[in-house]
Amino acid sequence: MSAPIQSSSTSSDLFKSTINEYLDNLPEAVHSQLYRSPETCLAIFRLLPSLAKFYIMTLLFQETAIPYADLNRWIKPQKATGHHRNANKIYQNESIKRLKALNLLKEIRKKVKHPTTGKLTTIVFVQLNPIFRQSFRDALTGFRDGIPRDQSEKIAETIEEAEAESEKTLETSSVSSSSGPSLENLFATKFKITVGFLDSYCLAKWENILHFMVGSKIKHYPSIGVLTLLRYSGLMELPSDRRHRQSVDADEDNFVVDDHYIDGERGPPSGEELKSLLITKNGFQFLLQDINSQIWTLLLQYLKMSEKLMMNPVDVLNFIFMLGSLELGEGYPIKVLSDTQLIMLEDLVDYGLIFYPKSENSEDTKGRIFYPTRLATSLTSESTKFKTASTVLNEQISNTDSNQGKIIIETNFKIYCYTTSPLQIAILNLFVHLKIRFANMVTGIVTRESVRGALINGITADQIITYLESHAHPGMVKKAEEKYAKKMEFETSIGNSYTADQIKYEVLPPTVVDQIKLWQLELDRIQTFKGYLYKDFANDFEFEKLLSYGEEIGVIVWRDKIHRKFFVTSDGNAQLIEYANRILRKSASRSVTPST
Amino acid sequence: MARAIKGSLVECDPSIKALIVKIDSDYRDIVIEELDDTHLLVDPSKIPFIKRELSKLLSENMYNLNEDNQA
Repeated sequence: MSAPIQSSSTSSDLFKSTINEYLDNLPEAVHSQLYRSPETCLAIFRLLPSLAKFYIMTLLFQETAIPYADLNRWIKPQKATGHHRNANKIYQNESIKRLKALNLLKEIRKKVKHPTTGKLTTIVFVQLNPIFRQSFRDALTGFRDGIPRDQSEKIAETIEEAEAESEKTLETSSVSSSSGPSLENLFATKFKITVGFLDSYCLAKWENILHFMVGSKIKHYPSIGVLTLLRYSGLMELPSDRRHRQSVDADEDNFVVDDHYIDGERGPPSGEELKSLLITKNGFQFLLQDINSQIWTLLLQYLKMSEKLMMNPVDVLNFIFMLGSLELGEGYPIKVLSDTQLIMLEDLVDYGLIFYPKSENSEDTKGRIFYPTRLATSLTSESTKFKTASTVLNEQISNTDSNQGKIIIETNFKIYCYTTSPLQIAILNLFVHLKIRFANMVTGIVTRESVRGALINGITADQIITYLESHAHPGMVKKAEEKYAKKMEFETSIGNSYTADQIKYEVLPPTVVDQIKLWQLELDRIQTFKGYLYKDFANDFEFEKLLSYGEEIGVIVWRDKIHRKFFVTSDGNAQLIEYANRILRKSASRSVTPST
Repeated sequence: MARAIKGSLVECDPSIKALIVKIDSDYRDIVIEELDDTHLLVDPSKIPFIKRELSKLLSENMYNLNEDNQA
């Protein structure tokens, strides 16, 4: 089995790791509750690494537990070849660690009699979490109650609650529909919800939030819920927060969002006050992510905030994951939702994840229907699909924005951008030293300082380069194509097929690209790893034994065989110590056995 | 049995290592052990300080385009 170790940290990986981290840290009781919902099981399954998925599929229809050692049979053993780490083994370790962290895999220790020798030995068996197994089987085999089981008793309650909520709902939906007057008209005249309508609806909503973040003048401010979340997540801050932070400590890394108003210690800032929010460096980084990661970032913050507000995280997560398995363009009745989820529904409408049309007669709360938008349905898609969904969206963003930036960058690092969009200018300002602004364009220069500023803010050189590439002026693209064709023609005419293959298609001047990368390298002059240095080994045997084990599980960062020292990451240290104790015990018992 | 020392491993060029050693000689208690030409064991809490000092030392020797333009 091929075991790729993903070293690339694209934005989609980034978001996955954060949602995964969040899930891992939930207590077991919450996990068990979560796994009652088949949709959630499916969504969690989608977020797992391939090998973990494979293990789940293998164990899913297995009634009895299987020995732990059998899991190793799916891994190609690799001969220990000195320094080479066994990539497969590391990958397997990681997958199993994830499964255990999620409480999906349960270990059972059983005493088994060896068939020939009759000796009793303890063997570790593994089994899937029974709740997860049942729900996931349901999800795959299509067994489904009309209404999710655990919620059936809540329905009566839900309806009452919904009626009480309906007033609020009216408010929010009127706010939401006002964000795009054309959308409202569309809705009023046709009453038909098409996929295209949903797409433009959610994009309008989302862009509105982004525009607010960069401080462009907008007609309709996002709702107070959105503003509070932006502040809470540290993407934006009030001018008073900024002063407070600067006076308290200069170390920006340890900035903790002041959430007193959530705990009720202080009154929440008023809506007017929130409109004066300013963007933070985290907010800038947020802007450069693709739309799906942005949504996940906000949803995670929402989860954290909802815990403080005493909302049940299981309900919240179930709802988010359920959205991922809904069909785009279909309407769903709200009556299947729990109280918490109804409150959430309002919030998600504000983010553009859900379209929730105003009902004709507000009395009829039972029959109300909500529509998930593309932002919601692509939440948990597989990475390939995920990308297409997000690229589709990104394309639409660039198409809907009539002032789409056309960037020209010269070999002397001067940059010209034809744009009037404040969003684009704000993004450029992250890594370009902007000099002059004209009516329809801005000019600036890419300097070491400007790029360094961006790098220190956590933006990578690759992000800058891809941004410039994807927003390059058609003229630059054309020139690059011509150059590429010319070189190709030349190389093929002299029959140099090897160099012909080597020719790269360069939209940006290579000097600029290289320099930006060099600036990044310059910043990472040192690489640090936290962990433990092992030294003063009594003998070679102990050293070799521990080192080879450590290398196999991939936790050794540095080794020096002559001086018998090695360095272990702090994550791997516990495992190594456990192993060391095991050999110690073994060697102790061995030395005892002959004497008795 | 072997000893384990808690710390942070720093991997860098030999030139940078020399600079860190120099910083250590100025401020003390930073480097726990010098491992080889490109590796050092340092106090984990001092890493931000090391990075700050390093960039200060490095930018002293840097040609600045902007200053040049203004001149």
